[in-house]
Amino acid sequence: MSMKTRRGLFIAACLLPGLALFLLFKVYPTIQIFQKSLYLWTGVGDEPKFIGLQNFVDMFHDDVFLLALRNTGFLMLVVPVLTLLIALVNASLLTQSKLKERGFYRTVFFFPSILSFVVIAILWSFIYHPTMGFVNSGLELLGLGDWAMAWLGDQRTVLWALAVTLIWQAAGYYMVMYMAGIDGISPDLYEAAGLDGATRIQQFFHITIPMLWEIIRVTIIFSINGVLTISFVIVSVMTAGGPDRHSEVVMTYLYSQAFTNSNFGYAMAIGVFIFIISLLLALISNKLTERGSH
Amino acid sequence: MKPKKWLTTVAASVVAVSVLAGCGSNNNNGGNAASPSASNPSSPSASASESAGGKQFENMELNVAVFQGGYGREYWDTIAEDFMKDYPGTKINITASPKIAELVRPKIVAGNPPDFMYIAGSDNLPIINGLIKDKALLDLTEVFNEPAEEGGAPLKDKILPGVLESRSSSPYGDGQVYLAPYNFGVMGLWYNKTLFDEKGIAVPKTWDDWFALTATAKDNDRALFTYQGLYPGYLEEMIVPSIYSVGGQEALDQFYNLDPEFWKSDTFKQVWGLIERIAKEDNALMKGTIALNHTQSQTAFMQGKAMFIPNGTWFEDEMKDAPREDGFQFGFLGAPAFTADKPAMAMTNVEQLVIPAKAKNPELAKEFLKYLYSDKSVKLNAEKSKGVLAVKGAADMSKEFISESMYNVYKAVDEGIVTVNGAFKSVAKGSKYNPSDEIFKPISSIMNKQLTVDEYGAKMYDIFTDVQKELEQNGAQE
Repeated sequence: MSMKTRRGLFIAACLLPGLALFLLFKVYPTIQIFQKSLYLWTGVGDEPKFIGLQNFVDMFHDDVFLLALRNTGFLMLVVPVLTLLIALVNASLLTQSKLKERGFYRTVFFFPSILSFVVIAILWSFIYHPTMGFVNSGLELLGLGDWAMAWLGDQRTVLWALAVTLIWQAAGYYMVMYMAGIDGISPDLYEAAGLDGATRIQQFFHITIPMLWEIIRVTIIFSINGVLTISFVIVSVMTAGGPDRHSEVVMTYLYSQAFTNSNFGYAMAIGVFIFIISLLLALISNKLTERGSH
Repeated sequence: MKPKKWLTTVAASVVAVSVLAGCGSNNNNGGNAASPSASNPSSPSASASESAGGKQFENMELNVAVFQGGYGREYWDTIAEDFMKDYPGTKINITASPKIAELVRPKIVAGNPPDFMYIAGSDNLPIINGLIKDKALLDLTEVFNEPAEEGGAPLKDKILPGVLESRSSSPYGDGQVYLAPYNFGVMGLWYNKTLFDEKGIAVPKTWDDWFALTATAKDNDRALFTYQGLYPGYLEEMIVPSIYSVGGQEALDQFYNLDPEFWKSDTFKQVWGLIERIAKEDNALMKGTIALNHTQSQTAFMQGKAMFIPNGTWFEDEMKDAPREDGFQFGFLGAPAFTADKPAMAMTNVEQLVIPAKAKNPELAKEFLKYLYSDKSVKLNAEKSKGVLAVKGAADMSKEFISESMYNVYKAVDEGIVTVNGAFKSVAKGSKYNPSDEIFKPISSIMNKQLTVDEYGAKMYDIFTDVQKELEQNGAQE
């Protein structure tokens, strides 16, 4: 046996257990999701019945699903844009301004990222608490008591209120990523631009953003996917999809169809749909931002 | 990287939890199994037939899955020990968990369900609905028709009236019992008894009396009413008795049978008129209620921010650590009537015991079920779990073990406060509708004054017309 084949065998032996686990716990369930989405199945004891694409057809006649999709779309649009914008501005300010408390702010802004989502959701449901919450008490203190409202109990405000929580949770995390990126940009560039008379704002748009572009591209995809997963916990704890389903998101709807309505096949179809949508969004955002790098 | 990292954490903790859960139940099995086999090592089947009145079981092993919630598991452990003593040679393995549905689901899917299950708790109940939809439960009618003791009256005479006939026991409406009753709870409106006694406020008999209290509430610096805003389903505790009060059993059947015509009826307009009145009348609904979860709203009620809240007999225990206003005392009102000549009412909720159709040992499971309704068991249940079984006279048998406010509520039921109870007919398999969600969730919008009762009624009519259509198609397929 030559050295090369032995080496190959050794590598294969090392990889196999990991590969087996990966196939068993990642690939196999994923295939199951795709397969079960074509069945009528309560997920309890019955034989799954093949119904072709009926689940997918039903989805587009299901008003609640469409509302959940719209709500999710709103969050996927608003949250990443604002999160990344705030993160970028904060990162740039903290690295450029030579503040003494830089390290302190860095830690404080990063703090939400190490809290569990459930804790964050409970925290914010008390911040929005209609009578003793921080937001309404603050407004009353400023003499704006008339503006106080049940932020999570009104269909006009509930999605924005949830968006703020999601942004607060994620902005610090992306800020730290951007700060690491900005630290990697040569100071010579800023110095040269400064000598040429470029203002800080011009430097931000013409040096910081182009130099960070590759990181921004990746964070856009992370952020969009983050909204999908995190919104489940935040919505379940803070609003339970209420009032009257105006904060229902696709993940909470999927869960309730699977586990409270015993509609496993349909829930899997929703799962497949979300999978395809997020894949498409990632591809689209990748394509759209590609041009910018040239 | 972040979302991925989160996923891995979740996956890891799921694995960890399931491993731990597995350990826990196995250990317990071991503990239970040890005592009978040690005390009774020889010829188990012979001795069983002796003491159990000539009853013989081919299979002496019973696997029992129970929900471990507010009532704990001690009762189940003790009653299993007792059963094994009275039926020597039998062996009961108990699996208990707050997430019992997650533990039994894979076993059911694999066609190897436990022999006997007590499933409760909103996280777990959907599995029962699934089993009902699949027609995968054992028919228990015979158990209740047989005498409780040798030569005595049939077991069904012991059960609280109306329970076995209701849909929560007889889900297909054909009079056959598939779900046996266990603990029952009483639900309705609660108030602070001390406040009513001290200020000499009369407990309202009718809804008009009730609404008249908005002024009294204002004098006492509180709103009339609050509820568990995020979970409008709690409002059924007022709505269901009211439907019965206005339209009688006929209207209630229409409601629970998902009949679209209900949503055009006068009963509907009167009952939902109450909701609209709460939304519109000054000082009726506590500010911000719609955004509160159950703990937040119940705490607000106990702190004296509102005069009434709907909840069940578990209330006192659930909120035992919550802050409250001075002298707070639980008082139970139930649901007021529409006119003075009608009685006050309350809604009951009965927990369910089932034997899966595919159980390996249905005969012993039935014997165990019967055993649970013995006086000894009723007392034991009150002592260990502070629960009251849905049998006649259970309130008195349990008196020494439960709190006074609970006893008063149960006693009132025993003495004939009119109780209603029911469950929605199952929708067609594969239907996207969940009757309870469809009916109660939009009430948030009525409370917000963003939806009128007429618009709501029209929406419900469309939904339930659709539901009926699905049921017909489903019937045609089978």
